[in-house]
Amino acid sequence: MTTSNQQAKSQNGAEGTVFDIGYQHYDGPREGRNRARLSVYKEGLKISLGLGRGPRAKVLPWLFIGALVLIGAGMAFAAITINRIAGDGTAEAVGLPSHSDFYGIASIIMFIFAAISAPELLCPDRRDGVINLYLVRPLTGTDYIVARWASFMTIMLVVAWLPQIILMIGLTMGAAVPADYLKDNWLDIPKFLGAGAAIATYSGTIALLVSGFTTRRAYASVFMVGLFTVSTPFTFGLAQELGGTAGKWLSMFNLSNIPMHVNDAIFGTTSGVTMHAPAAEFDTWILVSWFFLWTLLPVGVLWTKYRRLSV
Amino acid sequence: MESLLSVENLTKQYKDVVALNDVSFDISDGITGILGENGAGKSTAIKIVLGLLEPTSGTAKILGELASENITVRSRLGYMPEHDSLPSNVTAAEFLTHMAELSGLPPTHARSRAADTLRHVGLFEERYRPIGGYSTGMKQRVKLAQALVHDPAIILLDEPTAGLDPAGREDMLDLVRKIHREFGISILFSSHLMADVERTCDRIIVLRGGRLIQSGEVKSFTEETETVYIEVDTNKDRLIASLQNRNVDVSEAEGGIFVEGSDESVYDHVRDALVEAEAPLRRMGPRRRALTELFERDGDDFSELPTGVGS
Repeated sequence: MTTSNQQAKSQNGAEGTVFDIGYQHYDGPREGRNRARLSVYKEGLKISLGLGRGPRAKVLPWLFIGALVLIGAGMAFAAITINRIAGDGTAEAVGLPSHSDFYGIASIIMFIFAAISAPELLCPDRRDGVINLYLVRPLTGTDYIVARWASFMTIMLVVAWLPQIILMIGLTMGAAVPADYLKDNWLDIPKFLGAGAAIATYSGTIALLVSGFTTRRAYASVFMVGLFTVSTPFTFGLAQELGGTAGKWLSMFNLSNIPMHVNDAIFGTTSGVTMHAPAAEFDTWILVSWFFLWTLLPVGVLWTKYRRLSV
Repeated sequence: MESLLSVENLTKQYKDVVALNDVSFDISDGITGILGENGAGKSTAIKIVLGLLEPTSGTAKILGELASENITVRSRLGYMPEHDSLPSNVTAAEFLTHMAELSGLPPTHARSRAADTLRHVGLFEERYRPIGGYSTGMKQRVKLAQALVHDPAIILLDEPTAGLDPAGREDMLDLVRKIHREFGISILFSSHLMADVERTCDRIIVLRGGRLIQSGEVKSFTEETETVYIEVDTNKDRLIASLQNRNVDVSEAEGGIFVEGSDESVYDHVRDALVEAEAPLRRMGPRRRALTELFERDGDDFSELPTGVGS
């Protein structure tokens, strides 16, 4: 071990000594695999929000989060204003969009957010080769992908729930008697949490699956956006043409509508986006099972791919 | 001396290509070089040791454990891959902190270790710059630092001087020597450059075509020979003629001449020949064998082996 020192005078004239104590072995705690998993999870949160990265990495995620929050705040503001002008309950009476309609309005923004953010979590690690450094540590491919998936689900859930929470707070505070409003409408809370979880899990998992098959972020984003934008007019037009059961089944492949059917089932309503979809005529259990298939299958494929990943 | 790494009858076969063929060796404290051409099986051996590849047969234990069965042992290993494996948009300090956490260190310890390690590899001043702006030599240092940040018991370096200019290569070899001599960390150093291994390592393992060709102390391969090397300022041709007249076995070499002789009398003949040829002596001494000769000597079994693929 080398030891050298450098004499230095402090401001008050007293002499101080700076020691180079050389290399120090680490004898602190080693928390193994759990710490490694937690680290991948935390890093995933930071990547999704662009934290610890340059300003450009922050622009898009915060733009989309801001847009979703604005929609929630705007809906609350509109309802409060109408209720203030025309009396309590007017907003609901005239059918102003509320919790059950939020995801119908905001789902496209959530899909695009997922399409842009998910590739950041998986593509650069493989493209830059950083994954090689992960897998030589106390971490398996399964640990890595589960931690990354969990971090992205956390972000997606926040993105899905935050505007609804703002809307709920706005509607409650804007009511003549906030406590009465909350007492009458508290069931909206578990409903929007459930519907938000459905759309967040679905769009987040599919976006990660697409990202798991390319090292190019742009390819993954464009493919994901294309998948959702093309499937809607394609399936809608063809389903109308075919009609009957075949048309209904074809309508099930409208990827944008899959979580919206779950939203409808939870709120017991039909949203604007599913109103004309032939698939909406199916029993709820078929629509919910279809949603689980489209969410769990990508989870399985993603896990299978990363479980076998080697340096 | 306790064995840090023990490889027994290791074989790895990819369909009809044998990447490693019944290789056995032990590594204890110090710097050990794995020397071999591209495709000799060096990287395959390292990946099996790290538990990233399953061997076809045989075992590779590191720190007494099979890394494929007990991945927590990897928290005491460092690995520097040959190829690019660094993110471009994060700072070296941030990246190293993350790598330390991935190896199981708590965040506060990880941050402190990251700063210390960057100081040891000479990147302390540059630690808050994004890695994407670093030179090739600096990136190699970051790769080395991430292998070192969690204070491993042994570091596996895969071609650490690849892509470096002569000055950068020299700096990297100095760092490697420093890691062992000053930090007390053992090193397995894989390279196809004999000069690097000869100058850095205490012991070598030579692989060719997936087979173990030689292993032992570097000094035993570079021991003194019975050949005397002589350099003169002028009259080299006259000196050769004079020695041949004395029935001394002499051959011309670049810059000087080689004289074969196992007994003391050869020095008497050289003295007399120098006087007779009026050749001013510049240098004389026993020749040391260079490691390069391992690959040049005829008659040894390794020179006849086929070259394998797969490292």
